[in-house]
Amino acid sequence: MRDESTDSGALLQGTLEMLILKALMRGPQHGYAVAEWIHQTSQQLLRVEEGALYPALHRLELRGLLKAEWGASENNRRAKFYQLTAEGKKRLSTETQRWARLSAAVAFVMQAS
Amino acid sequence: MSSGMHELIGRLRSLVQRRRRDREMAEELEFHQEMLRSRYLREGMSADAAKTAAKKRFGDQRRWHERLREVWQFRWLEDLTRDARFSARLLMRSPGFTTIALLTLALGVGATTAVFSLINGLLLRPLPVPDAQQMTVLHIDEGGPQANYSFCTPFFRALENRHDAFANVFAFNNDVLQVRGKVGNENIPGVLVSGQYFTAMQVAPLLGRYLTPEDDKVGGSPEGLAVVISEPFWKRWFNGEPDVVGRKLVIANTPFTVVGVMPKRFTGADPTTQPEIYAPLSSDPILDAPRDHIHAGMHAWWLTVMARLAPGMTLQQANAQLQAISEPILHAASDAASYIKDEEGRFRFGAEPGSNGFAYVRFLFRKPLVTMFAMCGGILLLACLNLTSLLMARGAARERELATRLALGATRRRLVRQLLMESLLLALAGTTFGLLAAPMVSHALAAMLLGGRRPGESVALDTSLDMRVFLFSALIAVTASVLIGLVPALRATGSELNEQIKEGQHTSRAPERRKLLPRALMTAQVALALVLVAGAGLLATSLARLYRSGLGFDPRGVVNIAFSMDKQQLEGDELIQLYRQIGDSLRTQPGVKDVSFESQVPLSHRGWNGSYSSPAGGEHLIWLNSVAPEYFRTMRIPLFKGRDFTWNDTKASGLKIILNESAAKQFFPNGEALGRQIVSVRQKTSFEVVAIVGDAKYKDVRSPAPAAAYVPIQQDQQPKLSLNAVLRVDGPWGPLVAASRSLASRLAPSIPAPVVYPIDELINNSLGTERMMAVLGIFFAACALLVTAIGLYGTLAYATSRRTAEIGIRMALGAQRSRVMTMVFRENAVVASIGCITGLAAAVMLSKLLASFLYETTPRDPLVFGGSIMLLAAIACAASFLPALRASRIEPIAAIRYE
Repeated sequence: MRDESTDSGALLQGTLEMLILKALMRGPQHGYAVAEWIHQTSQQLLRVEEGALYPALHRLELRGLLKAEWGASENNRRAKFYQLTAEGKKRLSTETQRWARLSAAVAFVMQAS
Repeated sequence: MSSGMHELIGRLRSLVQRRRRDREMAEELEFHQEMLRSRYLREGMSADAAKTAAKKRFGDQRRWHERLREVWQFRWLEDLTRDARFSARLLMRSPGFTTIALLTLALGVGATTAVFSLINGLLLRPLPVPDAQQMTVLHIDEGGPQANYSFCTPFFRALENRHDAFANVFAFNNDVLQVRGKVGNENIPGVLVSGQYFTAMQVAPLLGRYLTPEDDKVGGSPEGLAVVISEPFWKRWFNGEPDVVGRKLVIANTPFTVVGVMPKRFTGADPTTQPEIYAPLSSDPILDAPRDHIHAGMHAWWLTVMARLAPGMTLQQANAQLQAISEPILHAASDAASYIKDEEGRFRFGAEPGSNGFAYVRFLFRKPLVTMFAMCGGILLLACLNLTSLLMARGAARERELATRLALGATRRRLVRQLLMESLLLALAGTTFGLLAAPMVSHALAAMLLGGRRPGESVALDTSLDMRVFLFSALIAVTASVLIGLVPALRATGSELNEQIKEGQHTSRAPERRKLLPRALMTAQVALALVLVAGAGLLATSLARLYRSGLGFDPRGVVNIAFSMDKQQLEGDELIQLYRQIGDSLRTQPGVKDVSFESQVPLSHRGWNGSYSSPAGGEHLIWLNSVAPEYFRTMRIPLFKGRDFTWNDTKASGLKIILNESAAKQFFPNGEALGRQIVSVRQKTSFEVVAIVGDAKYKDVRSPAPAAAYVPIQQDQQPKLSLNAVLRVDGPWGPLVAASRSLASRLAPSIPAPVVYPIDELINNSLGTERMMAVLGIFFAACALLVTAIGLYGTLAYATSRRTAEIGIRMALGAQRSRVMTMVFRENAVVASIGCITGLAAAVMLSKLLASFLYETTPRDPLVFGGSIMLLAAIACAASFLPALRASRIEPIAAIRYE
């Protein structure tokens, strides 16, 4: 993926997918809400480009980690809502552990004097 | 379900539901924009500004869709179509190259497929019967090099009912039957079959029943004589009337009852014939009268015997069993003690796989077909080599384009794929063209090869494309495209491309290794072309010699008219009278100069021989013919001494004979033959020699004229002699067909329509194989030369164009134009010379394979080989001249600036 980099550094594809899975932990959401949630929760540090968000959502759906349904949004328009499948939940937990190990390891290295 | 499976299913589904997916994508993105807009509005933008901002943030909708689609689709499929489109565009841009490539490939593929479909029809295709693999062909092994596939009636009848290994044993013999039509008799191709023939074939009749062992008895079953007819014959003869079963057919003046109709796809056990009538074997004395193969016993070896293995039986078991019963049958069935003594201990029956039936012509055509197949393979290989060289040269010319793309981040795999796509496209298109042309070509070839073996007897071969042919050509297409594409693609995207960018056309430092491969390819091509040209030269030379070699008679303007008299009433002197009447009427036809009769048609591969002896010369086997007066004048056979036969040479006037020179020399080595006697060894009758005539070829064009003798037709022993009228005609012979027909219906109403054909046609037919091979050979050789010329020209032109700058510099430094020309010229000269030398070596080795097709021509004919080399050298020079001339015209300043 050679996306245009965001103003807050490009997110690696795998990382973005992990964040999306995390965003959907709390229940079904449409794409805009997912992006918004990530943006807010990261203290406005991460902004997910639409150009990366939707392909990632579709990829996850294709792999069966998410399933999508059309429903009515808060402003009463038809929107596509994504939610985690059992497979997706499993993937989220492994990714979470992996991320924790990785970031800790990277932190150790970076803090070495 | 694994996520991989999930992915595959999702993609497949999206292939089907593409429109819906696109619509949903659009809607989803639209919704997102909407949300953005309302957020901007909340943040206090004006409606217009919000709209613009959202739009700006979103960018181009189409690109979005593209990206989302990529998620859902098979990436490679997309790439593939894109590559294909791109390649097609590129190929369109160089129409000359593309046309040449397509034509050469189409030629190679078309020819190869055509010959393969012949081979398929003749040698490979299984019989259209259930469980064809159970079919076997029986033969008699007498310890000789070649097993005997012809059986006599006693042996077959003994085998017919003594078998545990076989479910059925059956025999058949192809025959021409005389069927009573509206006017007189007509010749219809048929086959005599034994009782278990249809039981073994297991193909259900379309109407009625098939023949059973009940029908295969003298006089037929209690209901009388029965025949089964084919579907086409039913349609033609009975207009497809449904009540055909039970109707009568008068064959050989005897009524037969039609008991069944076989479907069109059933063509019997011989794939090269299409019988219209199946008659019981036992009716041979009626159908073949006055001949009788059944009561001739051990003297008529006329049957082909086949058998269907019993379920669960193997060929080995069957052979073991046949071996066990061979000797007992030999003793029980043979009535000739001397024969039994001869054969004892080495005589045995054997079975071999017969899933594709039995065709005698296989023995004749297997080798020519395989040879032709090799020729076609050669031209196909040549086409591939040529394309490879041209693509390589093109790749060289495109190096900068490819290098640029590599530098821009395209992977090597990607580029190779794209270049392969180009050759695949070429190969596919070429194969398609070739396949379209193949059926026509194979028809023409089949007609040439099998063209009327004998007048009135046609050989048919089904050369239609079936699965096997189709798979074969698919295989060719794929192999060709890989052959063509892979090497150039790998080369063109090789590691030295970065160098290329930096260097541009200054490839003077290009390592020799890079130049080696294209040269090796062109060398191989030249060698291959030389082999093809030399082979064609040999075949053509041989054919020319066959045509020119002394026949001993003059065939130009000689027309034969064959009369079948074996089923009419007249005999002996009355029949001779009838022939005299026919001769007199024919003489009055326009353009007819001379008329006579003969019983054996020269060069028709049929003959009649006998042993004669004289006191001085001993016993000799000579070929015989019975002829009417004026025969030698009609045929332009020189009469050296003595007198011609006259109508007065009757049986009563004493037996007369005319010898040709060779026979006269054999019987009377030291002295005058005229007026002397020679004695028939078998009949102990003696003949007076009344003339000596020139030698003429007898059975076959390919063998020299044998010792032969002629007797008058009045003294021929055969009852109901069927003779051929020979006419020497000025002008067209076409009108004779109608004339002889009306003549026959007037003088002998019951005989079939006489068959009229010029002797030239007979010679052409008997040389069908040689002609076809020579024609194909010359055609392929011409193509090979053309293709090679194109290849040499193309590669040299490209190579020179890449050296423009280098040559420019050389010229600027004072190189002479002629020097430059020589330099460029030398490139091809080296390739052509090495190619010629290797080709010559290969041709000399391979030409041995052609030896059996050559007549009075050695397989190492120096003239042919020398000529071939000269021809190729001339072609190579012609192909090198233009590029060399162009190189010498390079203006140094322009060339250097061009960079």
